[in-house]
Amino acid sequence: MKLFVKIFLWFLAAVLLMVGVVIFITRTFQTEPMESRWQRSMRNQMSIYGGTATQIAATEGENGLKAFLGRLSDVDPPRQVALIAPDGSLRFGDAEEFDEAHDLSARAIASGGVELDAPADDRTYGATPVTLSNGNQIALVLKWERQPSPSLFLGSWVGNVRLAGLLLTALILCALLATYLTSPIRRIRHATKRLADGDLQTRVAKRFGRRRDELGDLARDFDEMAERIESLITSQQRLSRDVSHELRSPLARLNVALEIAKQKAGPDTQPILARIEIESERLNEMIGRLLTLARLESGAEEIEPLRVDLAELVRDVAADADFEARANGRYVEVSAVDRCTVNGSENLLRSAIENVLRNAVRYTSEGTAVDISLTALDGHAKVVVSDHGGGVPNGELEHLFRPFYRVGEARERKTGGIGLGLAIAERAVRAHKGYIVARNFNGGLQIEIDLETAKAG
Amino acid sequence: MDRILIIDDDEELCDLVSEYLTVEGFEVESVNDGEAGLARALEGEHDMVILDVMLPKMNGFDVLRNLRLDSKLPVIMLTARGDDMERIVGLEIGADDYLAKPFNPRELAARLRAILRRSALPETASGNEAIEVDGIKLSPASRGATLEGTELNLTSVEFGLLHELLKDAGKIVKKEDLSESVLERKLSPYDRSLDMHISNLRKKIGTRPDGTERIKTIRSVGYIYTLV
Repeated sequence: MKLFVKIFLWFLAAVLLMVGVVIFITRTFQTEPMESRWQRSMRNQMSIYGGTATQIAATEGENGLKAFLGRLSDVDPPRQVALIAPDGSLRFGDAEEFDEAHDLSARAIASGGVELDAPADDRTYGATPVTLSNGNQIALVLKWERQPSPSLFLGSWVGNVRLAGLLLTALILCALLATYLTSPIRRIRHATKRLADGDLQTRVAKRFGRRRDELGDLARDFDEMAERIESLITSQQRLSRDVSHELRSPLARLNVALEIAKQKAGPDTQPILARIEIESERLNEMIGRLLTLARLESGAEEIEPLRVDLAELVRDVAADADFEARANGRYVEVSAVDRCTVNGSENLLRSAIENVLRNAVRYTSEGTAVDISLTALDGHAKVVVSDHGGGVPNGELEHLFRPFYRVGEARERKTGGIGLGLAIAERAVRAHKGYIVARNFNGGLQIEIDLETAKAG
Repeated sequence: MDRILIIDDDEELCDLVSEYLTVEGFEVESVNDGEAGLARALEGEHDMVILDVMLPKMNGFDVLRNLRLDSKLPVIMLTARGDDMERIVGLEIGADDYLAKPFNPRELAARLRAILRRSALPETASGNEAIEVDGIKLSPASRGATLEGTELNLTSVEFGLLHELLKDAGKIVKKEDLSESVLERKLSPYDRSLDMHISNLRKKIGTRPDGTERIKTIRSVGYIYTLV
């Protein structure tokens, strides 16, 4: 949106500046030529009027001339007309209006042609000699109230409409142009975000059609990149899934062979065989979780939108975890459970909460309790699990959800974790469009799962 | 001697399991593909089938589905660990129990014995009489169950669970007790199999005409067969 505003404003500014420059240039440089054109037309008019007046004076006498002069002055806008004798006496017209025109009339009579004079900006006099029926020369003088030179935009309603039209066109064009430039960028950005959020099938070029410009190229390049990323990630996921799956067959055989060995072995080999069993169980657990993780990451785990009673789920998992924890001198306490339901897969949600809770039980100090609470507020259900295990360094919090991430090598091994529980929880929560965050709180690690609750009804 | 049929495409695993179970006192035969396995199971020479899900020619679910058309031969399914769908589908089609692969052979032997004991012997003297509650008739001798005269087609585990619940209808039956009396193993945390069996049982017996569940869950305690 910001780019849209920027482009829009820039183009608008450019258009307005151009209009301003045009007005400025018109005003400054076109005044002179317009002036001379106007003067030329005045000269022509004056000489025509002079000729006509002479003719009328010859044929119709003094009265006809006065009637003609009356017609000359009676135009829109009205003009002042006068007849001034060579001695300066006024024969027709308003004396006050022609105070300044005495010299001009004398000049016109002397030269025998049209003379113009503009004593000030707002008025111009034009004089031309007229021959009366008695042969005397007299000057016909016209006074123009100079109209202010017409402005292109301001001052008249036509100018205002013109200005408004121009501005409106500029606004619409700028908006269209900005949209044209930014909407494909927005689409690509949207797609990038979707790709980053894990929707690897995101493509954009289809929606760009035959666009052959740089943005079209960008869209095609994006698709190429997405294609490559998708194939890389799917092949990596498939590899991890296949490897895990294939590992299971030998492990299954190993388990049976081990049991046969136990049947046959003497008492002094039993402890070492038990050890082998523990390690094989650990391998087994790890492979199982890797498979779960691979399934979650590939999105193969379909989530049928079923209603899940989260309160019951939390109580259930807490009861199981408490049972397990008590064997090691730890406890699970359920501090608050609000009634709420979410849409999703009960199995996935169960495994998310179970993994978080068991992880907390594993790290909380002996004799302490892990606290789990479920609160529902504003359409969000929050499951918060807090332990008393000293927490993790702040810089490592965000890495906790990475597969096989270990905060402390020794600590993890000793407690029997395999570093996949939180990764699975995170994927499962994300598959429900929820969020999971880790933070240090009150001398322990606190993990919060945030899910959207199901709409009532 | 109990005769076990293993249907699994992993020949080496079959050999090892045979060896182990033989020592444990079973007579074992193995078949490596689904079609042959189904044919062999239908011949009625075995007391029990261990059935893998991933099989060539015909997968485990299809084998089980076809087998259930005219046989109540007890079946343990071997499912991929962590794959809840396989477990649920297996139990729904009529497996008596499931075991995640790779499995612990001792566990396998224990489950085999539990299921065999349940299906082969009539109930112990105390629970031998037929029970009739709420339109459901159970006859432990034949292990037959009917609802308003219609056959229910319960697996041996489902029959056992329903029997326990009806025996104490109207009272809470603890999960621990159900696990020990029906599944013949201690209830362990995170074990969802009891819930799955109950959920399948609920589907088979349906709800009351007014839509209420016949079997209610008492959270983290157990189940109760409600009486109207």
